[in-house]
Amino acid sequence: MKFKDYYETLGIERGASEEEIKKAYRRLARQYHPDISKEAGAEERFKEISEANQTLSDPEKRQAYDELGRHDPGEEFRPPADWDTRFWQGQAHQEVDLSELFEQMGFRSSQRRRQAGGVDFPIRGQDVEAVARLTLDEVSRGSQVTLERPGGGSVRIRVPQGVTDGERLRIPGRGGPGSGGGPDGDVYLHIQVLPHKLFRPVGHDLYLELPVTPWEAALGSQIELPSLDGRVRVTVKPGAQAGQKLRLAGKGLPKRGGGAGDLYAVLQIVMPTQISEREQELYRELATASTFQPRPQFTGGTTDA
Amino acid sequence: MPDDLLIPMDADSPVESAELLAASGLAHQELVELVEFGVFETREGATGWSFQTRVVHQARRAVKLRDTFGLNPPGMALALTYLEKIEALEQRLRELECLLPR
Repeated sequence: MKFKDYYETLGIERGASEEEIKKAYRRLARQYHPDISKEAGAEERFKEISEANQTLSDPEKRQAYDELGRHDPGEEFRPPADWDTRFWQGQAHQEVDLSELFEQMGFRSSQRRRQAGGVDFPIRGQDVEAVARLTLDEVSRGSQVTLERPGGGSVRIRVPQGVTDGERLRIPGRGGPGSGGGPDGDVYLHIQVLPHKLFRPVGHDLYLELPVTPWEAALGSQIELPSLDGRVRVTVKPGAQAGQKLRLAGKGLPKRGGGAGDLYAVLQIVMPTQISEREQELYRELATASTFQPRPQFTGGTTDA
Repeated sequence: MPDDLLIPMDADSPVESAELLAASGLAHQELVELVEFGVFETREGATGWSFQTRVVHQARRAVKLRDTFGLNPPGMALALTYLEKIEALEQRLRELECLLPR
């Protein structure tokens, strides 16, 4: 079994009081709770903190943990010979994770207490939660993900067309098995859409940056651009402005009930950083010929409010 | 070999109160208060309230916040309202960022 130092996880001394454990947990929970922290790895860290707190905040579990003695985190160790039988009535020396062990211990001791009264009470199976990181193409076409089941084996889950970034899917009754007549847990799949080099999804809509030259913007032009299902042509009207959105209806991500979001091409007027003699000449000619005033609001006095 | 293919619930299919409570770990009284605060939208089901699948996710989130921070129902209602508001703003921000050159 790999050792985990729960005291170190919470940043407290081994002799810490219940109050100190609670304080340390609350402080770290506020810092790393996945709903609050957007830091990378916060969710992982929060799990470790919760696991440490669940064991150390329960006097019975804490005592059992303390009796394991001190080891380096990650070190392989064996619990004392009589430890299993005193605290945990599972199969001895089975390959288990420390967290599972303490979780089971809680279940078993509460089960024992109730069973003394002759009632086998039902426990709902554990939920299975997983994150699916999908490409935009997978989201758009629909996909499948394979999950490892906690008890071994794997399951495939269909990710239907039309899911969006951040969406959570639920499959009731397909998680861990319940016991004592309790129902099975559920499966939850959290969808995350991986960044795409061209398209940025917002819900079912897609945004694409469309760089154009000053003359394309001034004179208008036909531009071919990529979409999820092949190339499409858009018309840039003469006098187009930077930031203008060209909407391609139905070229976004498909929606679950049918239909699809839109694709927006956002116009950016780009300038070459270096231009030739000839180009400079043409710009100078344009400067002389044009009467365009881009800053009419600057004319007049500065005293006016 | 994977044994079978699981199909997720449709986002629109209704979830009854009992299932919502079992799936989230929320107590009945907490559910009543969260509905009263208007955090959870209800529909009339065959036997009392019914909810959209998205409420299951909200409820599970509320329970995680409750267990971590020792929140009562008004606290859960407030936390959920703020989190959802922040997420709506983040979505709007992403939308506006898409209008700017990268």
